[in-house]
Amino acid sequence: MSEFRAVVAHEILANRRSRAPQLLIGVFVGMVAVSAVIGWITTNTVSGVYDQIRANGLTSQPNPFTDVSVLYYARNTIIYVVLVGSLMAIALGVESALRDRKAATADLVLSRPVHPRVLLGGRVGGLATVLGLIVGSGTLVSWISLSLVQGASLSVPLTARLLAFGILTWAFLVGFAAAGVLSGLYLRRETTALLAPFVGWAILAFVLPQLGTALLNPVAQVPRTSGIFHILSYLTNPLSVTEQFKAVSSSLLEGPPGPSPFPAVALIVAFSAAMTIAMLATPLRRIRGGIDV
Amino acid sequence: MTEYAIRTEDLSRAYGAHFALSALTLDVPRGEIFGLLGHNGAGKTTTVGLLTTLLEPTAGSANVAGADIAGQAAAVRRAIGYLPENVQFYDDLTLRENLRFFGRLSGLRHPDSRIDEVLVLVDFEGHADERLGTFSKGMRQRVGIAQAILHRPQVLFLDEPTSGLDPEGVRHLREIIVRLNGEFGITVFMNTHLLSEVSRTCTSIGILRQGVLVHHDTLAKTLGTFPTEEALEDTYFRASATVRE
Repeated sequence: MSEFRAVVAHEILANRRSRAPQLLIGVFVGMVAVSAVIGWITTNTVSGVYDQIRANGLTSQPNPFTDVSVLYYARNTIIYVVLVGSLMAIALGVESALRDRKAATADLVLSRPVHPRVLLGGRVGGLATVLGLIVGSGTLVSWISLSLVQGASLSVPLTARLLAFGILTWAFLVGFAAAGVLSGLYLRRETTALLAPFVGWAILAFVLPQLGTALLNPVAQVPRTSGIFHILSYLTNPLSVTEQFKAVSSSLLEGPPGPSPFPAVALIVAFSAAMTIAMLATPLRRIRGGIDV
Repeated sequence: MTEYAIRTEDLSRAYGAHFALSALTLDVPRGEIFGLLGHNGAGKTTTVGLLTTLLEPTAGSANVAGADIAGQAAAVRRAIGYLPENVQFYDDLTLRENLRFFGRLSGLRHPDSRIDEVLVLVDFEGHADERLGTFSKGMRQRVGIAQAILHRPQVLFLDEPTSGLDPEGVRHLREIIVRLNGEFGITVFMNTHLLSEVSRTCTSIGILRQGVLVHHDTLAKTLGTFPTEEALEDTYFRASATVRE
């Protein structure tokens, strides 16, 4: 257990010292910080336009933007997590795996009485802690921004929703970090090690959700309920962990209510668990292997 | 406690049809400084890889500090220190942070006081808070020795420890090795292709040729037969069957 803690502490320290992760973390937390303000400005602008339309007599419907929850302003964060957060997690994971391979310290580490699985587990544990700190900081920044926009502290139920979103984000990002470690352990070149999980992420984020829809369908405007496209969409859309994350997060941040969140949460947890288990199964020779720089 | 620090019997490592090490049978008594000589590719690093449990044997067995390398790998690792060839560390971390990590991995709960002792031993007082990225090759080798002896190992494995060092660095490292053996009774197993290293540091030698141990004796006996360093060199070249230009 002390070896596991040593690896976790080492991973945290290494991330604190390395410049690239610091830059990514700065960008991510910064984007989260301005997200609430952007959301508030956008909603106010749209609401103002709507009020103008009503005043001009173009509609008599009440303004739908006046009753939105303050959490609604933080909805941009979901996109930042999917687009920036997951890429940041991949980069942190790849960097972690390559640290020993590039510096040729793997033999030194493995000559100590530490089991390879404890070493890799500690590495993911360290990354999970780093991601926890990042997401925790982001959530705190979000809470402060939303409270400032609202002019009062967030209520307990809203704070709980924001916290739940933070935990979901953390679980989601740990999966991508583990995928990054996995790629860093198996691929011989640094650029390939970074690119491979990015391609995987792009498939999860963009291709799987679109299979079966008109976007990838050579015949335009085919209804999703027809034949093979319907089946494809039915099978692949739920597998897009990024789409499922967006759906559950949207519900948490008081967007339109969707279907039961449990299958989506289960998929996110299963994705993270599968990546971690695959990484822990890495054979010793792969951990020891060097890298073509 | 067994009489031998290292015992191997028909220890082999094959990669397909190629034997990197073939049926190595070797005894290294406790308290020795054993030098394993051989050309590049002779199987020296493979031997150390097997004895430090980084590689698994394809045949044969070995015992290090009383523990079997196949069945008791963790016990072997607790009992050994290892300095790889061209040792590298985490350059963004300080000397103390690097040593703390390796100390904790070796089971030391509070390694700081031991780190201070070891830094004195390798003449690094006052450098503990410097980042390793600024250290020269010779300094890194001494850091390598420091990390290898932090947990007071019984057996120390050194893979080409003086490779790439300037004469001053070589002399300094040699003094440290001899001191570790003399003052602390650590058995040293050293890979090298430098005959001068063996003749000045080791108490017994072995010569590997294409994965086969072709000579093994005490340095005293070897020098008794071949009393000069040139003669030792002849032994080496004859044993490794290499024509000297």
